[in-house]
Amino acid sequence: MFLAAITKDVWLLLRDRGSLIRLFAVPIIFISVFGSMFKFGPKHGEPQPIAIWFAPGDARGLAIAHQLELSEGFVARPATSADAAREEVKHDAKAALVIPPTGPVELVLDLEAPIQNRAPLQGALTGLVVHAVDPTMVPPVIVRAPLGVAKPSDDISGFQITVPANSVLFGFFIVITVALSFASERRTGTWRRVLSAPVPRWQVLLATLVPYYLVGLLQLTFLFGIGFLAFGMHVAGTWAGLVVLSMAVVLCAVALGLLFASLGGTEKQIGGVGSMTLLVMALLGGCMFPRIAMPHLMQQIGNFVPHSWAIDGYYAAIVQRGTTLVDLAPQIAALLGFAVAFGGLGRWRFRFEK
Amino acid sequence: MTAALALHGLGKDYGARTAVGAVDLEVRRGEILGLLGPNGAGKTTTISMACGVVTPTRGTVEIGGVSLAKQPREAKRKLGLVPQDLALYDELSATQNLSYFGALYGLRGDRLASRIQWALGIVGLAERAKEPIKQYSGGMKRRLNLAAGLVHEPELVMLDEPTVGVDPQSRNHIFETVRKLRDAGLTVVYTSHYMEEVEALCDRVAVMDGGAIVAVGTVAELIAQYAGKGVELELTGEVDAAIAAIGAHGVVSREGTAVRVVPAGGLAPVIAAIEGAGATIARIESRRATLETAFLALTGRALRDEGGA
Repeated sequence: MFLAAITKDVWLLLRDRGSLIRLFAVPIIFISVFGSMFKFGPKHGEPQPIAIWFAPGDARGLAIAHQLELSEGFVARPATSADAAREEVKHDAKAALVIPPTGPVELVLDLEAPIQNRAPLQGALTGLVVHAVDPTMVPPVIVRAPLGVAKPSDDISGFQITVPANSVLFGFFIVITVALSFASERRTGTWRRVLSAPVPRWQVLLATLVPYYLVGLLQLTFLFGIGFLAFGMHVAGTWAGLVVLSMAVVLCAVALGLLFASLGGTEKQIGGVGSMTLLVMALLGGCMFPRIAMPHLMQQIGNFVPHSWAIDGYYAAIVQRGTTLVDLAPQIAALLGFAVAFGGLGRWRFRFEK
Repeated sequence: MTAALALHGLGKDYGARTAVGAVDLEVRRGEILGLLGPNGAGKTTTISMACGVVTPTRGTVEIGGVSLAKQPREAKRKLGLVPQDLALYDELSATQNLSYFGALYGLRGDRLASRIQWALGIVGLAERAKEPIKQYSGGMKRRLNLAAGLVHEPELVMLDEPTVGVDPQSRNHIFETVRKLRDAGLTVVYTSHYMEEVEALCDRVAVMDGGAIVAVGTVAELIAQYAGKGVELELTGEVDAAIAAIGAHGVVSREGTAVRVVPAGGLAPVIAAIEGAGATIARIESRRATLETAFLALTGRALRDEGGA
């Protein structure tokens, strides 16, 4: 029964260009575009230009300019006058330091910028100026990584972030394929024919879901495979975690597909409403935009969609060195919890006879 | 000898609505039984319960003496369903479709391959077995739909409106196939909404109405019992009042100016009712008794206009 169902669904999938494009081709396009656009990690990113002016030979100005050059995050951009330095902030300089021969140093910032952008810049430049003016001062702050958090890999590429994000986004689109398959079987009458066969109903249900579970695994294998082979992605954390996490992600997606199928509706409704629902879930889960940059409330809401747990798990497995399978237990458990909830609710609502 | 199919008190309720009351029916081995009924009579629900597709609210189903409720696997193995819908995968070939449906019944390897060849041969599709069936005509798909119900070699096959929307050539092919199957010992339950198909094919006919079997017999028996007294009248004067008055004395249908009547208890009360209503009989003819007349007498409705149930 299961082998026959798998064979049949593979035949159908190979002839279904829409599903093939949705599951395999479109994600590659997204990964290619977004992976090329973004750079992440401590070794990536351009230093931010800081306009600076001081009187020629001014010792304090030279010290501050030197300190800017030593920093990895800033690059000094000398201006011809104090006003020219201030003017630079209106263009591409992130801030300006105007250093008079005596008196306080003037820090010019775009005060209209969001506080989350402005405050770190202000703090960093203030600290830099203080250290430049008095190098003997012992820094009152020591910088360390948080306890229990593995150190991120030094060579994170954009693909290390966009491959998992888009794999989760499009991996969950198997939900639509699963729900559509039930709707199609009912519409064409093949569902009645299968129910009349000497196969227990639980097997009929399982045999409809198992092929899509395998297709989902194949899809993630394909997307991560392309990530490794074509985009130079690598696993800094745990391969075992990556595999187990992927199995949990697909299980969760297929269970959600059963829930969607149990809600009924036409194929058109499933395609339209289902796609929108998945896109919203993906957005909240951080597939399109990092959750860390979202407002606190949105981050909290994101915990209620499986996508966020999947992405957190993938980042830990792929980006953070030293991550083990055990470290991924919370994410895997959450995904399995979602799978049980979706699957249980779907089975409770699912009607064999309609 | 046990019946090929035995339904005892079989019924289905959907909430407060009763779709099928309590059907009692025995289908003999090797016969073609026609199941006739107007729209909403409960034919498809009855067939669905008999095939295990719909769970009955009450009653029992036995297929070849095996209880469907107690031994569903055993019972279902004996049964082939040919649904009214074209229950096939359009993107797959005939061979792939039959391979999947055969596998559901446990067929494998050479046995499956030979059964597929046999089923395709009997419906005349062996030549185009490898093509995706979306390239087939409607008639060819109907024939493959039939083959999918036969591939596992059932003892009993349920054909639910198997000729809907097919060309005459494919319809004849399906008739021939059904006859061949009967001659080979297969039992067939055949629902149709073409009266002439049932007259031509079926050994016996069961008429359903209002969720119950209202009559069972051979075509000749049904005609003799229910269609013997039909007349066709042409009325003048108060025709509408007359038709209303006749209703108390028999089953009436109107076709243009002609009024068909199957009297419940002789012609005299009908004539008295017409005259009492102020109408005059301009013409009266005895009608040839047909299965359609019998059906009209039993259900009070014409079959063809109602659509399948």
